[in-house]
Amino acid sequence: MTLGGFILKNALRNKRRALLSVLSVGVSLFLFITLQVALRELTLPPEDLGSSLRIIVRNKVSLASPLPARQLQVIEKIPGIAAVTPFTFFGGLYKGDEKFTSFAQFAVDPARVKDVIVDAKMDPAEYAAWVADRTLCIVGLDTARRYNLKRGDRMQFTGTFYPCDLDLRIAGFYHGTADDRTVFFHHRYLDEASGNPGTVGCWWALASSAEEAALVTARINEAFANSSAEVRAETERAFQLGFISMWANIKVLIGSICTVVVFTLLLVTVSTMSMAIRERFRELAVLKALGFRRRELLGFILAESFGLSMLGAILGAGGAWLLYRNLDIQKLANGVFLAFEVTPRMLGMAFAIAALLGILSAIAPALSVARTSVVEGLRTLD
Amino acid sequence: MAPPIVSIRDLSKLYRQGDINVTALNAVSLDIELGEFIVLMGPSGSGKSTLLHIIAGIDRPTHGSCRVQDTDVARLNESQLADWRNRNVGFVFQSFNLIPVLTAFENVELPLLLTGLKASRRRQQVTTALHLVGLIDRQHHLPRQLSGGQEQRVAIARALVTDPPLIVADEPTGNLDAKSATDVLEILRSLSQQAGKTVIMVTHDPKAAAYGTRQLHLEKGEIVA
Repeated sequence: MTLGGFILKNALRNKRRALLSVLSVGVSLFLFITLQVALRELTLPPEDLGSSLRIIVRNKVSLASPLPARQLQVIEKIPGIAAVTPFTFFGGLYKGDEKFTSFAQFAVDPARVKDVIVDAKMDPAEYAAWVADRTLCIVGLDTARRYNLKRGDRMQFTGTFYPCDLDLRIAGFYHGTADDRTVFFHHRYLDEASGNPGTVGCWWALASSAEEAALVTARINEAFANSSAEVRAETERAFQLGFISMWANIKVLIGSICTVVVFTLLLVTVSTMSMAIRERFRELAVLKALGFRRRELLGFILAESFGLSMLGAILGAGGAWLLYRNLDIQKLANGVFLAFEVTPRMLGMAFAIAALLGILSAIAPALSVARTSVVEGLRTLD
Repeated sequence: MAPPIVSIRDLSKLYRQGDINVTALNAVSLDIELGEFIVLMGPSGSGKSTLLHIIAGIDRPTHGSCRVQDTDVARLNESQLADWRNRNVGFVFQSFNLIPVLTAFENVELPLLLTGLKASRRRQQVTTALHLVGLIDRQHHLPRQLSGGQEQRVAIARALVTDPPLIVADEPTGNLDAKSATDVLEILRSLSQQAGKTVIMVTHDPKAAAYGTRQLHLEKGEIVA
């Protein structure tokens, strides 16, 4: 027998309690990881090069206020602009989706958009077909896979913001962007369907270099200052971060839930360990009598508590990692979540919490054992 | 003449129970020779268990000295005392106090885990100790699979395994039937007579006391006979 074997036998002496302790840590850390992953997914802005080059130009008053289409001629002449396209959110319901369609539909100028979404990869023939026919659209590969769409299939959208519906056919598919879910269609089609209002939702531009991007946004803002439609230009990344700032309360809420989960877990683990040690008080007194020192007994308690917590972490955090790695989360979450990735940082946090739990929950019973003399401990048996 | 293995001088122990001071031992002086089988008797609260605990180094006196071999037990710190107990004292308790999740073999091996002996040497010593108490065939049994008498014999093997000069037994037959009690007492006597161990036993039972080479009666914290 080794001391390790002795600790293991002690930890497993009440198998049901050990199992429940491990499960309580495991389930809590699984929940912790899930909340962290969800938070990351909801708040992570795109970090690709394109997102720092691309510029969103929207109405200064509000995102919902349109911009005059005539601004295009001004924007494309601004130094540092490599490409620009109208960019209007349609926000329709896809046939079959009753309340919520998880992918966006944007009206763009097909001839111009290819130079803006530089990271998108698509078949040249499909692209050419799309450009040539205003009733065609291109679809992100994730959406195509989710709805099992093929080239030539019809996509019908019921307008929610716009008083018109869309009836599109698929010219082809694209992939390679940070979010391969969007459907792009001709702005001309939207103009015709909505009675040619002469407006766009936003402008989507590409700066010629990352260094130019900041200057270009300033130039665009300046170009329309004191006009009837003042604009607010910002990089796509800044635009996304602006959206994320709206999630602030969600971040606080999820953070609070995580804190409560960890604190509750601490209480449960401390209670379990205290109970386990209290039951063995006489045995620990006998061990002291046999010559085991305080530090060795503390080591036994700590190792047992730490071991159970870490086993829970392996089960909970490891289980979450395995599950989300193999789960089709897009399908399961109706497309709300894209990757649902458990990062090494999250795993590290979960294991650090488990380690801390193991240590903290051992402190109270260990101190109690250390304070009790052999005679007092032995007296508990009579 | 060889010096006594235990030499106690003017030993007192006071407890505080609420607002009252209780004298458990009052200026006790005593010498115990190597190989003696001492029996401590007396009514409840007479101080016999306290005296045993101080000799064994699991309790400290309020006043006086208790030297075992050449060590003044009262002067050792907690860590030194634990180490000293491991090398010098074997404990036998009334309620056996075996670890329920360990087999008889593992229970006996437990004190040896602190000695740094190799596994093969530990195995040899445990086997010898279990042979001595006649339980080698029960070495893989858990305590719950043993009778009370067998459990107490395993406890004696555990007390012996480090080869300590001193065996202390606190009412070792209190929970046993007559036959098992006789077996345990025979073992303790042979440890004293044949192996030269000094055995100090607390008991209420006059039949058990008859196995000792010397009987000490305590009353109100003093040795009266």
